[in-house]
Amino acid sequence: MVALSALFLAPLVVMLLGSLQRPLQPPPDGLDLWPNPVEWSNYSAVARFMPLTRLLLNSLLLVVVAVPVTVVVTSMAGLAIVTARGPVRRLLIGLSVLMLLVPAAALWVPRVVLLRGLGVADTPLTVALLALAGTTPFYVLLFALAYSRIPGSLLEAATLEGLSPYAVWRQIAIPLARPAVVAVAALAGLFYWSTFMDPLTLVSSPANWPVALGLRSLSEMEAALYPIYLAAAVIVTAPALIAFCIGQRSFFSTVERA
Amino acid sequence: MRARRALGALGGAAMLAVSACSGQPGTADDTPVATAPARITVQVRADPEEAAVYRSLVSAYEKASGGQVELVAVGRQDHLTRLSTAFASGDAPDVFLINYREYAPFVQRGAVAPVGPLLDKQGLDRGGYYEEPLKAFSYGGALQCMPQNISSLVVYWNRALFRQAGVTPPKANWTWAEFAAAAKALTTGKTKGVGIDPSITRMAPFIWSSGGAIVDSDEKPTRTTLHEAGARAALQGVVDLIGTGSTPTKAQLAAQDLAEQFMTGKVAMFLSSRVEVPALREQRGLDFDVAGLPIVDKPASVLHSDAYCVSSGSDHKDDAAKFIAYAVGQQGQTITALGGRTVPSLKSVATSPAFLSPTRAPASSQVFLDAIPHLRHTPVTPSWPEVEDVIGNQLQRAFEDGVPLDQVLGEIQKQADPLLRGR
Repeated sequence: MVALSALFLAPLVVMLLGSLQRPLQPPPDGLDLWPNPVEWSNYSAVARFMPLTRLLLNSLLLVVVAVPVTVVVTSMAGLAIVTARGPVRRLLIGLSVLMLLVPAAALWVPRVVLLRGLGVADTPLTVALLALAGTTPFYVLLFALAYSRIPGSLLEAATLEGLSPYAVWRQIAIPLARPAVVAVAALAGLFYWSTFMDPLTLVSSPANWPVALGLRSLSEMEAALYPIYLAAAVIVTAPALIAFCIGQRSFFSTVERA
Repeated sequence: MRARRALGALGGAAMLAVSACSGQPGTADDTPVATAPARITVQVRADPEEAAVYRSLVSAYEKASGGQVELVAVGRQDHLTRLSTAFASGDAPDVFLINYREYAPFVQRGAVAPVGPLLDKQGLDRGGYYEEPLKAFSYGGALQCMPQNISSLVVYWNRALFRQAGVTPPKANWTWAEFAAAAKALTTGKTKGVGIDPSITRMAPFIWSSGGAIVDSDEKPTRTTLHEAGARAALQGVVDLIGTGSTPTKAQLAAQDLAEQFMTGKVAMFLSSRVEVPALREQRGLDFDVAGLPIVDKPASVLHSDAYCVSSGSDHKDDAAKFIAYAVGQQGQTITALGGRTVPSLKSVATSPAFLSPTRAPASSQVFLDAIPHLRHTPVTPSWPEVEDVIGNQLQRAFEDGVPLDQVLGEIQKQADPLLRGR
């Protein structure tokens, strides 16, 4: 287990050590890991190449808004699938799978046209609007799968007791599908933190871009400046890692309880 | 590369559909409005350091004119994707910078407002500019976009490695045989003599130099002619050079690109345009210069040029033209020339110390200007980006995988000719 963890940690370690190398050196022959001397100034240099604070705030705002919306929308849609009868249920599942098969590139233009038509094509939260459509049908199917383990009689009894669909979702479905909530929140959080293709096509002004897109443009820096790019990568990866470290305890305890 | 082009083509197709519905290209506002300059959006393809140069250009323009510009600097891999999507959705930037090998599809789909008349209104005298890029950016008899640079293919050579190997520095008008001999002499256990990317922009000058052609007609190409005698001989020359072991192996190329191998002394020469200069300047201790391309029969080189285009859907065409006139004018071109990456298209700046100063490497920048009389450009036709991909992929098989040249040339004919004929 430890060996496996070390294997997955290796790229992070290479990124961290690379971010401390001295810039403007010839590209190394092979893997030159140990920085000598350690160059902390790479981290302050990142701000010279992109408006780091602004972009980090944009990303934070995006995640804070988009993740809860995604969880609410997809968990409701999942419940709708599970509570639907025979053919309708099959149709909804089929439709979700079909939507999963649509290549992302085919959606870029319709999305821009739609959002521009609505006058919301250029805000830091533009990409968060995808959350209103559940971000991806995969999350909906994930919830449908989680709910399918709840006995159907329980949901029916709740309805017969006079609970509204909202109350069934809030009081019965969500508490019983907590691991799915945590999993979708984690996946959606990671998606919105790291997406760069959606903002590239959807958001007009660079000032409204998320930090992942800023990092993407730094990836084209000259080889001699790669330590600065890697420093930016560490800065962008760190919040996601910290969130994971905090979240993993509750994730595993929820899964174990379930 | 192929994926990027495919995405560009996808966006382009959608662009055609949407522009057909919106009918935007016809709604040009030709009457100048006598109000304060509007805020315009300018999209350029630039890496972070290059973006800094364009930011300087924009702030100098804003100071000089009182105009406002939103600069959108997009990475090399994403420029076409964003541009195609933006056009398709009617959200195109007012001005965009594009290479002449990629602009024809945009013109064909009515996305570009011809820049000639717009610049005439700004009083820009085009007499002071080099002819070849102006020709490359003319389509359907009109100047579509205004070139900002006129780069060409040259040989970058490592002076220290030449000295160590006792090889005479490249002379003006050196021959292909001298070039190949130098490559062989420079090849040692650690160093390869020369690196050449398998692409048509690298091969074209040698094909033209040996009297061959890439396509049957530069104006209206209907088929490729790489399999014909002149072109084939030039390509065979490169295959023979690779056969001597003077070029990096496939594994070496996979590990590091040619520019990086040149920086670390793993290759002594490589072919590229002006674009490499800033990165090479930043390498402490690298002693390099540039030389003209070797000649097979007659001198030839290939144009590398980007130009500013105005979107046909822009509501601020005159303000867009005003920005372009500044960017390609004396001050604008001096700012971009000092960045080191461009060869100015304005003659007076190209021949000024801003570009030619020998105190900053490469000392022989004049080589770029000497190549100008022999410059030619690849065909300007909407399917050219796809044709380039086909040729590049096939040449790679011949150069790196050892597939026989004739087999590769046959495959190029089979795949590229239908693209040229528009099928």
